[in-house]
Amino acid sequence: MKILRRIRYLLRQRKIEAELAEEIEHHRQMSAKHSSDAGPTMGNVTRAREDARSVWIWPWLQSVWQDLAYAIRNLRRSPGFTAVALLTLGTAIGLNTSFFTVFNAMALRPWPVKDPAQMVKVFSMDTRRPNASGGGIGVVEYRYFAEHARSFSGFAVAFGQSVRFGFEPFGKSSQAVLVGGDHFRVLGIEMHLGRGFLPEENRVDAPEPVAVLSYTYWRDHFGSDPAVIGKQVSVNDVPFTIVGVTPEDFTGTADGGGREDVYLPLPSLPLLQPGASWTRDVLTSPGQCCLPASGRLAAGISRAQAAAELEVLDRQFRSQFRLEGGRVFQLTGSALMADPNRKSKGTPIVALLFVGVALVVLLACANVGNLLTARAGARQKEIQIRRAIGAGRARIIRQLMTESLLLAVGAVAVGLPIAYRLPLFVINQTGDDLSLRLTPDGTVLAYAIALAVFACFGFGLAPALHGTRQGSRSRLPLRSLLLTVQVALSVILLIGAGLALQGVARLRQQDPGFAVDGVSVVSFELPASDYDAAHAADFGKRLTQGLEGGQPFALTGREPLSISRWLADFRLPGQPEGGTRGVLWQEVTARYFDVLRIPVVAGRNFASGDDATGAILVNQMLARQYWKNDSPVGKTAICVGGRTREIVGVVRDAYVENLDQVEPTIYIAFRGTTIPKVLIAPAAAQSVAAIASRIEPRARTQALPLQANVDRWFRTARIGAEIAGMLGVFALILATVGMSGVFAYVVQQRTKEIGIRIALGARPEQVVRLVLASSSRAVIAGLGIGVPLALLAARLMRDVLYGVNPLDPVAYLSVACILAVAGIAASYAPARRATRVDPLQALRHD
Amino acid sequence: MGAKHPELLPGTLDLLILKSLVRGSMHGYGIAQHLKTVSDEVLQVGESSLYPALQRLLLNGWVAAEWGASDNNRRARYYTLTPSGRKQLQRERAEFERMIGAIQKALA
Repeated sequence: MKILRRIRYLLRQRKIEAELAEEIEHHRQMSAKHSSDAGPTMGNVTRAREDARSVWIWPWLQSVWQDLAYAIRNLRRSPGFTAVALLTLGTAIGLNTSFFTVFNAMALRPWPVKDPAQMVKVFSMDTRRPNASGGGIGVVEYRYFAEHARSFSGFAVAFGQSVRFGFEPFGKSSQAVLVGGDHFRVLGIEMHLGRGFLPEENRVDAPEPVAVLSYTYWRDHFGSDPAVIGKQVSVNDVPFTIVGVTPEDFTGTADGGGREDVYLPLPSLPLLQPGASWTRDVLTSPGQCCLPASGRLAAGISRAQAAAELEVLDRQFRSQFRLEGGRVFQLTGSALMADPNRKSKGTPIVALLFVGVALVVLLACANVGNLLTARAGARQKEIQIRRAIGAGRARIIRQLMTESLLLAVGAVAVGLPIAYRLPLFVINQTGDDLSLRLTPDGTVLAYAIALAVFACFGFGLAPALHGTRQGSRSRLPLRSLLLTVQVALSVILLIGAGLALQGVARLRQQDPGFAVDGVSVVSFELPASDYDAAHAADFGKRLTQGLEGGQPFALTGREPLSISRWLADFRLPGQPEGGTRGVLWQEVTARYFDVLRIPVVAGRNFASGDDATGAILVNQMLARQYWKNDSPVGKTAICVGGRTREIVGVVRDAYVENLDQVEPTIYIAFRGTTIPKVLIAPAAAQSVAAIASRIEPRARTQALPLQANVDRWFRTARIGAEIAGMLGVFALILATVGMSGVFAYVVQQRTKEIGIRIALGARPEQVVRLVLASSSRAVIAGLGIGVPLALLAARLMRDVLYGVNPLDPVAYLSVACILAVAGIAASYAPARRATRVDPLQALRHD
Repeated sequence: MGAKHPELLPGTLDLLILKSLVRGSMHGYGIAQHLKTVSDEVLQVGESSLYPALQRLLLNGWVAAEWGASDNNRRARYYTLTPSGRKQLQRERAEFERMIGAIQKALA
């Protein structure tokens, strides 16, 4: 309480001092008035003020300074202890803060725009489908809102597209973002070079090929050339004029730090894919939905008010274009964590990782706590002397805690550089294209300091209380307790790491339900401007003719485990429209199921003419969900373009979309309106390229093994497991250091006893057993607590990582072996020292 | 004026202030006047010792201060005894009586 009053004084010092001055002045005037002679202390007003003021701060500051100076002297006197404590704790805080830095950058920070508090994401919920997650708004509706909404000063929509720049060899590997005309004005971005988009560049009827480069793209691919403005670049073989470069600190508004390379006006979408009719639909059809949308609230407007206005505008918009249904709107902050769709999905993974890094900090605390306890034992005499000359217990505890706090602050100084470098290093390793601002900000700094204060109490308080207690030395030494905690924590972390690594290994071995080995995916890139639907179909047909008679092959719109997912509305003829659900769909030739060895279990495979009749195949999962035990063959469903289609066959479930689970999927016969991908044996990939370049000399071809998609799928899980492994290794090091410290302490304390025993003829192994026995109970207790907790943690992990088996014998056995080895390593040096104790010297000791 | 002011025993001033406040809240000058009156002008407490003492009592949470109007309608700070101040008064009083008793025995 006293400290709070002191802090209050410090915060309001000026006011309190003015009051004090006023009070003393009042006193002086009163005494002048009431007594004929001057008061006894006239003229001492200033001194009175000084003295009264010094009561608050001075003695306290002095004692704090004393404590600090004493703590520094003490830590410098034992550099070994200080170094180990700083390293242990610093690394733990560094690891923990690294994780928080990434979490902060990905999920907690709002967009890097002007007045981010005024920017809100706009989520729309279809009132007919109350349980569906929120989407954005369509382009036409976005224009309507931008024109009519009074509660917003501007709207922004963004539509990501992979594009290929003229200088890139293959693959649409650059990320374009198609944005509304006043995107940069709404976000409040001042261009680094050139300008943002102009209103006339936002006209759907007259698209302008203009581009704004992101700062990093400009730096990496245009050598930071300031003369780039006005130059032309080829995007998907269409010349675009560069009009601007975004500033360096604008890293984009993509979720989770997705990369943004170039910004194009929305109306230029059909220029990029002249053959595709959907590009026009996106821009002009009022029923099209949905692009991620955001808006800047007008001054003084609450989110609820703005959402209410959007609901009214949406109703007007719908009646104007005769659209059914209605929407309600939810406005959230721009940070990822504020996204209602993300919150529920992301939380368990984040929580689990947080638990991991929190355990690491706890482990480090237990470790340093143990070191401190050993030290407190050695300092017993010093503490006794200080108490004897009149220091209160509270005062000594405060002194010891100052030392702890100093260590914790030092650990933050060690940890922050780690937190600054490590996330960037890991992200570079993963090869993920993320543009995150990982520079630690105020939030990260506050987090690290809070962590240090927590750690300071975590490792410092118990030893301080323990060390200052007089008399009755408890039979359960704190050291054993801390050793137990250390062993338990490292068991949890190690088993967690082992299970994660095993889980990923098992996932990779799991049968995906389709052939992966011996299948290559051949992709083509054709000049977009020349390939409309008819040309694409022609290309597909000639390709098919060229390949006939050779290796078996299949054409598909999307290869298995591709990055994209195609969703189609699906309902049964009898169902109302409200019962529509999104299901995955693929467009494939009949051989798709042969090449991938997915058997047709009922009905038949595609036959010629099925592309015209619109017949579909479904997987078992979809059949089960809609027809229970009935056969769906011969039944109809309304799907893909609102057409009534007949189901002609059922194929076995395969993990072609997603290796975690099989989702309901429909297959339609390949129509050839998009440029196909070819699935074929690797040996034949070369001939596919040759045939393609005979049909179209400008075609670029790329063949990749299907295994590459499987690997990409596991990358996130693998990295997660590797991070878990890293935490496990760190835990192991800490536990080894901790155990070895305890053994060394035991040997030092019992040197005399060991000397006597050796003098009486104890053999080396007996001496070693003595040393080991001293701590074995603590280790066993640690195992006894750690293993059940690890089992509990494994149950939680299974929900996040599909391959985890909480009872994986390999993981448990290897952890047991690793711990045994660590235990032997930890005890080796102290035990060796024990066997070499010279009895004579030991007895002459003290 | 010019009269010697007797040195108080250390810590006694705090006790005297706390005791003065038992009757009710008082401003600083009031406390000084009260002590002067009840001690037949023996205890003359000056600003330079009174205000540091009051700040010390505030810091320890034994008194609370509040601004109010004084008799002549000027702004003055009134001090009130807090519950922990009351306890402290009892403790200090007991300690003081023990000391006085001991001193008297020594002088007898």
